Amino acid sequence: MKRNTWPVNLKKHLLLLLHGLFLTLFLTGVSFIYFNENYGRGLSWLHEESYSDTRSFTEQLESDVEMIFKYVKYKDLFEVDGTLDYDKDMVCVTFSSGKTMIYTLNDMIRSAKNWGYYLTDSFEVAGGPAIHERETKNPTIPLIEWKAYDPDAASHYTEPGDAYATREELAFEVLTILGEYYQIQYNYMDQPSNLYFRVSYMDQAGKELLYTNAAQYPLKDLKNMGRYLYLSGNSILIDTNLKYIPKNITSELENYNLYGNNNYYIILGLDTNYPNTDPYSQAHNAYTKVRVNYITGLILFAIGASGLLVTLACLICLAGHQTAKEHTISLTYYDLIPLECSLALFFLCLWCWKLLSPHTGLWAAKLLVDQNHRNFFASVSHLVGVYVIGLLELFSLVRQYKARSIVHNSLACHSWRWAMTALRGASFPARMTALFLGYTGISGILIYTLYYLYENRSFLPLSYLYFIPALVLTGFQIWTFLLLYRNANEMEKISFGIFKMSEGETSYKIDTLGFSGKGTDLAQTLNNIGDGLESALQEKVKSERLKADLITNVSHDIKTPLTSIISYVDLLKREKIQDEKIQKYLDVLDQKSQRLKTLTEDLVEASKASSGNLKLDIAKIDFVELIHQTNGEFEDKYELRHLELVAALPSESIVIAADGRRLWRVLENLYNNAFKYAMENSRVYVDVTGKHDHVYFTIKNVSENPLNINADELTERFVRGDVARTTEGSGLGLSIAKSLTLLQGGTFKIYIDGDLFKVQVGFPIDTPQ
Amino acid sequence: MQTILVCDDDKQIVEAIDIYLTGEGFQVIKAYDGYEALELLEYNQVDLMIVDVMMPGLDGIRTTLKVRENSSIPIIILSAKSEDNDKILGLNIGADDYITKPFNPLELVARVKSHIRRYTQLGNMGQQNVENVYKCGGLLIQDDNKEVFVDGELIKLTPIEYNILLLLVKNAGKVFSIDEIYEQIWNEEAIGADNTVAVHIRHIREKIEINPREPRYLKVVWGVGYKIEKQ
Repeated sequence: MKRNTWPVNLKKHLLLLLHGLFLTLFLTGVSFIYFNENYGRGLSWLHEESYSDTRSFTEQLESDVEMIFKYVKYKDLFEVDGTLDYDKDMVCVTFSSGKTMIYTLNDMIRSAKNWGYYLTDSFEVAGGPAIHERETKNPTIPLIEWKAYDPDAASHYTEPGDAYATREELAFEVLTILGEYYQIQYNYMDQPSNLYFRVSYMDQAGKELLYTNAAQYPLKDLKNMGRYLYLSGNSILIDTNLKYIPKNITSELENYNLYGNNNYYIILGLDTNYPNTDPYSQAHNAYTKVRVNYITGLILFAIGASGLLVTLACLICLAGHQTAKEHTISLTYYDLIPLECSLALFFLCLWCWKLLSPHTGLWAAKLLVDQNHRNFFASVSHLVGVYVIGLLELFSLVRQYKARSIVHNSLACHSWRWAMTALRGASFPARMTALFLGYTGISGILIYTLYYLYENRSFLPLSYLYFIPALVLTGFQIWTFLLLYRNANEMEKISFGIFKMSEGETSYKIDTLGFSGKGTDLAQTLNNIGDGLESALQEKVKSERLKADLITNVSHDIKTPLTSIISYVDLLKREKIQDEKIQKYLDVLDQKSQRLKTLTEDLVEASKASSGNLKLDIAKIDFVELIHQTNGEFEDKYELRHLELVAALPSESIVIAADGRRLWRVLENLYNNAFKYAMENSRVYVDVTGKHDHVYFTIKNVSENPLNINADELTERFVRGDVARTTEGSGLGLSIAKSLTLLQGGTFKIYIDGDLFKVQVGFPIDTPQ
Repeated sequence: MQTILVCDDDKQIVEAIDIYLTGEGFQVIKAYDGYEALELLEYNQVDLMIVDVMMPGLDGIRTTLKVRENSSIPIIILSAKSEDNDKILGLNIGADDYITKPFNPLELVARVKSHIRRYTQLGNMGQQNVENVYKCGGLLIQDDNKEVFVDGELIKLTPIEYNILLLLVKNAGKVFSIDEIYEQIWNEEAIGADNTVAVHIRHIREKIEINPREPRYLKVVWGVGYKIEKQ
């Protein structure tokens, strides 16, 4: 990489130098164009126009047309057979003495010479005495009878001053006219000219008066010249290829029509190759030079502009880099000023320069350039100053942009960060308050600005300026609404999620896509809670199943040794041992082993029922029939303890949807419960009632022992009335009954009122529909 | 003297069963796993087999399947598994009975006796092709002399009980509700029938079933009625 070993700073300085050069070129180009007389005409004229199309050409032509007709006029005045005749009579005057004098041309010239007049190189009258000399030398003022060069003079002199003239004045007039004649003669006849003309008047007899400097060229040749104009008396149309017609040509042509007929014409022809030196060729050369200047200006402008752009781009690329390879951006002290401050400083500089530059600029302009270019120079120097200031600010911005500090370092960003930090630490209500205040503040400012601009719209330079705050206000309100809408949407989703989770769908997840701020936190927290619940629930289900499995397996393992115990106790009893004590012991063993058997069986059932680990065989069954069957099963048994079963059952059947065998198990447990704990010789009441769409089965008995226990606790596993603990039974009966009932969609309630024990089992009635 | 093969990996249980059955006059052959049982079956004339399910080596279910390949002797499965699924599986693969541990020794003996009677008397009972004789498994009703036999043993029933049983046996498999039974037997319309029928049924069950809580013949269809299982 030897190629790129120039130090970056050197490159920067070179580029800066180039930039200055290009700026100079650019300004030179602009000046060229600005001071060109074609400034403001755009570019199309450069290839569409030639000198003969310009106004100045037309003006020249008009003056030439005037000269041509003066020639028409003076030719006959001064010439006889084509040459100047000095003996021609010019003026006739009558002196106050009554003497009438006729002066020839020669007289007049001599008289003029006498007075000190002469003709210059360009045939202008010059010289002459001072005014006081004129007055003293010849005080007599004769009356003018006629003037050869002004045939209608005497008749139309209305003012007395016009009708009288001194000889000196007359000589001066004649000399002037003669000068004009010479001028025409010299310019168009004696000297070769680029303009050819031919004026012809013809009387009825065919006698032609011809005035021309192109007698050798036929009419056709004149028409074939670069520019021509042909106007004849018998046509109002002008045959020409000129862009602008000389305005005076038709009137002049008609003025000199001596014969009052239509037999006349004028033709002008201009050789646009300009072979001869005359005003046309000179003007043409000047025009070409201006054009070249303009084009040069354009080229300089283009080169300068593109050079400016290229060097500016290079400088922007290099800005902030100290070496070629490093990517770190070095900032100047100025760059460390916050954006708003630096912009303010920038505008301050511009303002100062605006105040300062008219003085410095004009002062410098007075020193350096003339009056015509002073304003231009002043404004250019002002603009250059603005450009330089702008360039400095631009590079500062570019460096900051590269360092990515333009936004970070701004006051707005600083205050925003400060506000955010302050808000983040604040509580939610405090944040809401701050947001509300911010919203109100911004809205207020916008509304006030809108009001102010609208009220003062007629005084402002841009009367529609109030649209800006109106648009901003609308945008701000829409933005606020969108935020609120999004917030509401989030709340809706979150509350829906809470509802779902509370319904038990713990796996429900709130889609946090598009959430922000507090909503995200809430939704995520809720999702986490859901996850926790879900896993806890699954854990629970899993552990319940494990527990049920464990209980089942353990009970299998217990049953095998229990079989031996029961069998051998039974065998022992068969040995007919006479000893009372041993008999008693054996009874205890027998009783307890039987209880252990019940316990293991009930344990399995209870764990399965409570964990829902059961397959139900739901069918339509008659609840009343079931109670009848159950009563039948227990009637004999109840008689053993002298319990009377009092049943109040409806005569018609009540159909419910349940698993018959499991329901029988429920009833069996309830009946057994009553059998075991009811006071002997008491009554057990059983009834079935249908209420609305539910059927309720109730069993009531009076407990033999005091029920010092909460009704709810009775369905807990292994809970029995204290005294009952020693008796037969596992203590799981009510628990199993409740679990099974609930599994089948029924309700199970225990009421204890003193010694009255009551259980109510309810099921929804299965209607045919 | 009938020979009974008892197979269980728990020696004390086998011993206890041996004591009970020997006491009832059966000859008992003892095995402690499935392979042993199959071996013993090959060399002995066995009339009934009691087999445990959970055994090391060949378990009770596979043993039963093996035995059923070439023998039709009554098989009673004895198991600690008391779930319905286990019972159904055992009975489906060819066992004649399923007794859960811990069992009542007397019930076991009663069932053994019942199966042996049925098995041995099956032949001559099948030849009695007499009218008015209704048979359902081990249950036999001779309507001519109003006698009821369970596994060949005469059972004493009251007239109402007899009529109810006859109704159910005649329509084996059909479920009769309490009202239907009442109307059929008493020839009266059942208006809010009470426990009478249910009590009678219970009495019948107690007489014809070995374990009335787990009836083989007269089954309770809870919430619907009663029926005799078709066999």
